[in-house]
Amino acid sequence: MGSELGSLVAVKLEAQPWVGSLVGIDADPPRRRLRKAEFHLLAPSQRERIVDVVTEFNPHVLINISVWEPNARVGLHDARKFTADAAMSIIGAAAECSALESVVVRSGIEVYGRGRGSGTRPDESAPVQPTSEFGKMLANLEQQSSVLAGRTGVAVGTLRLAPVLGKHVPSPLGRLLRQPIVPYSVLADSPFAVVADSDAADAFVAAAAARLGEPLNIVAPGAITTLQAALRGRRIPLPLLGPGWGLASRLSHIAGAPIPDHVMEVMHRGRLADGSRAAEVLGFTPADSTPQVIDHLYAWESVVRIGSISQAVA
Amino acid sequence: MAAYAVDDYGRDPHLVAALSPLARLRWNVHVTGMDNVPVSAALLVCNSRKFALGSVYAALGLTEATGRTIRFVGRPDTAPLGALMRRVGALLAHPADVLGALRDGELVLISAAGTRNGRQAGVVPYELIGQAVIADVPVLPVTTISSSFGRTAHVAVGTPVLARRERTGPLAHVELAEQVQHDLQRMLDRD
Repeated sequence: MGSELGSLVAVKLEAQPWVGSLVGIDADPPRRRLRKAEFHLLAPSQRERIVDVVTEFNPHVLINISVWEPNARVGLHDARKFTADAAMSIIGAAAECSALESVVVRSGIEVYGRGRGSGTRPDESAPVQPTSEFGKMLANLEQQSSVLAGRTGVAVGTLRLAPVLGKHVPSPLGRLLRQPIVPYSVLADSPFAVVADSDAADAFVAAAAARLGEPLNIVAPGAITTLQAALRGRRIPLPLLGPGWGLASRLSHIAGAPIPDHVMEVMHRGRLADGSRAAEVLGFTPADSTPQVIDHLYAWESVVRIGSISQAVA
Repeated sequence: MAAYAVDDYGRDPHLVAALSPLARLRWNVHVTGMDNVPVSAALLVCNSRKFALGSVYAALGLTEATGRTIRFVGRPDTAPLGALMRRVGALLAHPADVLGALRDGELVLISAAGTRNGRQAGVVPYELIGQAVIADVPVLPVTTISSSFGRTAHVAVGTPVLARRERTGPLAHVELAEQVQHDLQRMLDRD
């Protein structure tokens, strides 16, 4: 509930008539004003406290968004540890809740991997064959959730999100695309799809309401390549070939936009997925297309000095 | 701004529009049998003479004749050729790719195995034909005839291929593939 996406989901859940009480746990405080929700500031490693909070509340629906994307808020090592710790605590606690009817888990289309010969636009029936660290983290999370479903009989729904972008969402892909100079693969410049944070939050609310019990791809319609995104954002595209990527990656890291392997994979192999099943099962269609999400990414307001606002009001 | 985007499969309509005049310099495609193309999804199967790029000019001609995007199958999965072919609408020869596109209501064009003789239909891949059975869409034979040196190319769309027997198992895929090859050969012999 402390992350951008978690706070957004909490706000949207508060507005739902079917939601009675709401409890959230995160390592960071909420980024939005929550009126009904009760929040617990707990680190992923505080397993016993997390289990106490969850089992005491005994929820009907549990939403696990505790996924740390590498190089979004923390580096790869911490991301892997925090995600695994949180999954163990939350899924372990869920198994002890007698009232639990449904669990909705955040995953990503990175689980399909981009190995040689992998499908251009995989749907939910495609095999899970991650080829990046983030994909492997998400595949582990899905596997743990399916074990929970098998043992308790609770409906477990998995939302495989395309890379989530938004104005305030910490995302290595978003950061890379917003740099003044954007590197792209001159040989491949592969297409990818994304999803807006507000659409991803709507998908979680819809999945929780429907007591989803299967995996679904959540992908904005359309696609874009890195070169096209850079041109839309009026950035300088930097064409790169093999060895150039090593240097560009280091320079980008120094500039504050590290490029983890799953983002590098997007640049070289693309990342698309078929999101049509979400419309069938949940009646959910993202409001923003991929090009629109990219446009919003570049449409940040300029810095507004508070002093100038005061003067304008006076 | 809207100019910089590709479709759900990575096809770039602006790149296709830019390359089309070059393709027209090489081929002058005449298309017949358009009445047989359904308004919904369908799997089109064309014969292929080696190095003639039959599926490329057939996709070009059919796209212009129908006004719909034809997804032709057979791009490699390596850059830069695979990436370029994806930008002009090609899919991998992967059953999941074909099934996904058919379920999405697309017209998908696959090729029979290449032959030296342009009037001979090669073996039709049953793994890909099977996806049409799974998606429950019609399969149409498409003949492609072109000259190695001239510009003229003919593309003819046949009537939907009907399976000779009702099968519930994988035999349905194999028998339908054989039937498609047979129908293709019959059309080539007749043309």
